[in-house]
Amino acid sequence: MKRLTNRLSFLSLCGAVWLVVGAAAAQDPVEFFRQNCTSCHTIGGGRLTGPDLKNVTQQKDRAWLENFIQNPRAVIDSGDPYALKLFEEARRVLMPTLPGMNPELAKKLIDLIEAESKLEESQFKGLQITDRPFTPREIEIGREIFLGSRKLANGGPACFSCHTMKGLGGLGGGRLGPDLTRVYERLKGRQGLGAWLMAPATQTMRPLFGKHPLQPDEILPLIAFLEDAAHKGGEDTSVAILNFFFLGLGGAILALVCFDAAWRWRLRGVRQPLTEGEIPRGA
Amino acid sequence: MVSTASSYLDPLLFAVLPYVVFFTFFLVTIQRYRMRTFSYSSLSSQFLENRRHFWGLVPFHYGILVVLTGHVVAFLFPRELLLFNSRPIRLYILEASALIFGLLTLVGLVASVARRFEVSKIRKVTSVSDWVLFALLLVQVVSGIYVAVFHPWGSSWFAASVTPYLWSLVKMNPDFTSIAAMPLSVKLHIVNAYLVIGFMPFTRLVHVLVVPNPYLWRRPQVVRWYRRPGPSPAGKS
Repeated sequence: MKRLTNRLSFLSLCGAVWLVVGAAAAQDPVEFFRQNCTSCHTIGGGRLTGPDLKNVTQQKDRAWLENFIQNPRAVIDSGDPYALKLFEEARRVLMPTLPGMNPELAKKLIDLIEAESKLEESQFKGLQITDRPFTPREIEIGREIFLGSRKLANGGPACFSCHTMKGLGGLGGGRLGPDLTRVYERLKGRQGLGAWLMAPATQTMRPLFGKHPLQPDEILPLIAFLEDAAHKGGEDTSVAILNFFFLGLGGAILALVCFDAAWRWRLRGVRQPLTEGEIPRGA
Repeated sequence: MVSTASSYLDPLLFAVLPYVVFFTFFLVTIQRYRMRTFSYSSLSSQFLENRRHFWGLVPFHYGILVVLTGHVVAFLFPRELLLFNSRPIRLYILEASALIFGLLTLVGLVASVARRFEVSKIRKVTSVSDWVLFALLLVQVVSGIYVAVFHPWGSSWFAASVTPYLWSLVKMNPDFTSIAAMPLSVKLHIVNAYLVIGFMPFTRLVHVLVVPNPYLWRRPQVVRWYRRPGPSPAGKS
């Protein structure tokens, strides 16, 4: 049996490795760009964290760009002066090495950027956000979207599932992701926040909102809500975690008391004589 | 350095390991049932001793059954769960209930392991693999409670991020991108769950596959114990 188990375990390992390798299917560059690049770059919409990529092939040769896209860290670490300049301009935010990137995809992405640069208005121009002050109604709608009481059109989860903020009340929001009270300031205002919400770039959010993207009419109220929170200032310093833990602990103790009250004497009349009475050897 | 190690480890832990453990689970479970049918029990846990056993048996089983059901519901009905959680008060009630049952599981597990360690009759029927299993279960329950308290609200983010990953495994097209950036405690909880599943068929935990469910609805049986008169209980050890 042991030998059979070993053989089949080996086979299962080989099968699993094959599955992982086989999963590296060909990527659509448009979808890849939308999901991976638009949170930091536009094509003709101005600078975000990274530079506007319109006509980038006129500023640097294709071979350099393809190499940089595939492994930005390696090019920066090599001391390349142009890469270091980009790194400084991006406030030392390192462009990630994207999963699934390969020479063929890098070439296709440069082709895409070149083609989009020739258009009068690229589909990757980014969200153009108004400069006018937001209304209290927009802030309220943003709060409802954040909490989840207003459902997202494409079925994405509410921000509240993973993020907390100052002033949410109750036990606060989730703590898988960072506190968003000051995210408006961290992402440098409406434009940066809007670009982020169009295509969130973290590894946890990208797969989620790549499949269920936020709509522009959802992004605007969210920006209003987050801008309002940043203007009010502070951080979520509530003791919600402690409250939650003690709520659970109190509930568990109460449950144990209930178990004891309900079943303390259950079957003991039968069991006690069986376990405490002595049975002589050979009985 | 950490991210490099993680980029090598993540595919192994979240795309290869699940298939290895499930294959092992099904293979060894079937093999053990066919070859060593009578080993399919949890051996004696001195079930009739009810004073100490109660504090292990009852909280652990009620706790683990409710918590496991919660995980299965989030796996099967993620959209409905997210809809339910769209009101913070409902989310809070669900999460607090899950934490209560998680803590009950921990109390029961600690009580069971302590009793097993202290009572010689039970220690004798506990194998090394059983002790390893208890350690794995302890890590699983503690990491689960840690995640529930320090990374809330799991019922929502499990449905949004972990469920698609688990379905990608079922569809034989593993996509662990949403898991790769999760906190270490969440990764530990997932990997340890795989280890428990993979290790399960070698341990007493196989009893969950042969739960005598008909006991719940069968008619009561009268058991008579014929015992010869023995010495007075006062002198026994």
